[in-house]
Amino acid sequence: MRRLLPFALVLVSLTIWEIAARSGLWSRLLFPSLANIGREFALFFTRSESLLEIWVTLTRALGGFALAAAVGITLGMLMGRSRAVAALLDPLFSGTYAVPKLALFPVFIFLFGIGSLSKVALVFLECLYPIVIMSYAGARNVNKVLLWSAQNMGASRAATLRRVVVPATAPFIFAGFRVAVPVAMIVVVITEMVSSADGLGYVVVYALSSLRTDRMLAVVVVIALLGYLLDKAVVLARDRLIYWEKLDTYYV
Amino acid sequence: MTATVRHLAQAGALLALLIVWQLAALAGLPDFILSPFQIARHFIEALGTAELYQHVWASLARALPGFAIGSFAGAMLGLAAGVARWFDRLFSPAVFLTYPVPKIVMLPIFMLWFGIGDLSKVLIIALACFYPVFINAYYGVRQTRTILVWSALNMGASRSEIFRRVVLPSAMPMIFASLRVAFALSFIVMFAAEMINARTGLGYLIRIAENSLRFDLMYVALVTIAILGYTGDRLVRLAHRRMLSWQEQPA
Repeated sequence: MRRLLPFALVLVSLTIWEIAARSGLWSRLLFPSLANIGREFALFFTRSESLLEIWVTLTRALGGFALAAAVGITLGMLMGRSRAVAALLDPLFSGTYAVPKLALFPVFIFLFGIGSLSKVALVFLECLYPIVIMSYAGARNVNKVLLWSAQNMGASRAATLRRVVVPATAPFIFAGFRVAVPVAMIVVVITEMVSSADGLGYVVVYALSSLRTDRMLAVVVVIALLGYLLDKAVVLARDRLIYWEKLDTYYV
Repeated sequence: MTATVRHLAQAGALLALLIVWQLAALAGLPDFILSPFQIARHFIEALGTAELYQHVWASLARALPGFAIGSFAGAMLGLAAGVARWFDRLFSPAVFLTYPVPKIVMLPIFMLWFGIGDLSKVLIIALACFYPVFINAYYGVRQTRTILVWSALNMGASRSEIFRRVVLPSAMPMIFASLRVAFALSFIVMFAAEMINARTGLGYLIRIAENSLRFDLMYVALVTIAILGYTGDRLVRLAHRRMLSWQEQPA
């Protein structure tokens, strides 16, 4: 009984959905039945374009994320280890943190065109913030005793960075990644919904404007699955790379 | 480095950036990049029109209720899941499972269910704000040091007293940290929802400006949203410092 409790909510909601769908009180447009959504989900994967749409969305999200990771970790570590860099960049990042970078999208369209580049640039910009902030926090909080011991034992600056600072910052960097990956998915899907002719966000809008709610919901499930799998991949990579610090805070 | 020197250096860097930008504009930039002076002039002009305030009001009337509803529900349910084990087992798996899903894809469905008016936008913002607050409230409770709970029990505190005097105060810092994230999220989702489907608001303004190549309007909307986001973030941090003055500020 207790092992079943986690599934109870999901099962109850799905049952309520199916009852609402079959009751006939609402149009099939509002509540398509689970069978229809399931069929559209299966159909989605039989179409070869679908895989292309997934590929387009994934490359945009991961491209922007990878760029943000490379630049963000470098900046964050520099800020953490050098007070001058921190004094210069910290106000910039904390001041513009709550400003929705999405507002720059129209400017980016004029700068980089309406293709993938403007979307990748926006993903990069939005993902940069959590990664910079977390790696800054990590690099700043390196245990002083460890640094002193390393210097005392004659470690060069490069060796200290590689053997002490990077391992100490790594858990923070991964915490930043875990925030940034869902952000990358959000931004890609939004930009594809707003202006695009490809990608999963576009498929959602297209299905909606052709009043195929069942198809739209099937694509929503695909996007949800992708978001879940990417998050899972980050957690797996984290546990592999930072094997010395196991966290039980990861629920799923 | 003293604080004054640091502030001077920061102001200098900002000024240098603006001067380079202005000089580049004088040397000739593409049409869609205005110079800082032009942006400032258009912004001040727009401040004198009623139109800008209408859009600001429409945007805030979506973002703020959504933020309030989502954060409140997130904090309440997160606290409940942290305290009651049966509720944790029932509710938390669904939340953690759907956490990495981009909530904005639900907007079209919400539009079908709740209409294309403000209700669907407020609810999608609330949904997006719910997650970070729930998760932090949950872990905030779970991180309560057991020794504090034991001491309180030892001194004869009732269950409700323990919750009020021990568990809640120790969860508060994490809840406030998530409020900052939720606030930033509420603006992102508000903007996205307005760009996708709206007839008012700053997201709509930037979209029609883009479509009609009114670059002045585009930058006015951009500057306005930046100022609103910055001010809101400062307010959340101020509330944090006011309400949790006993908490040690990180160095």
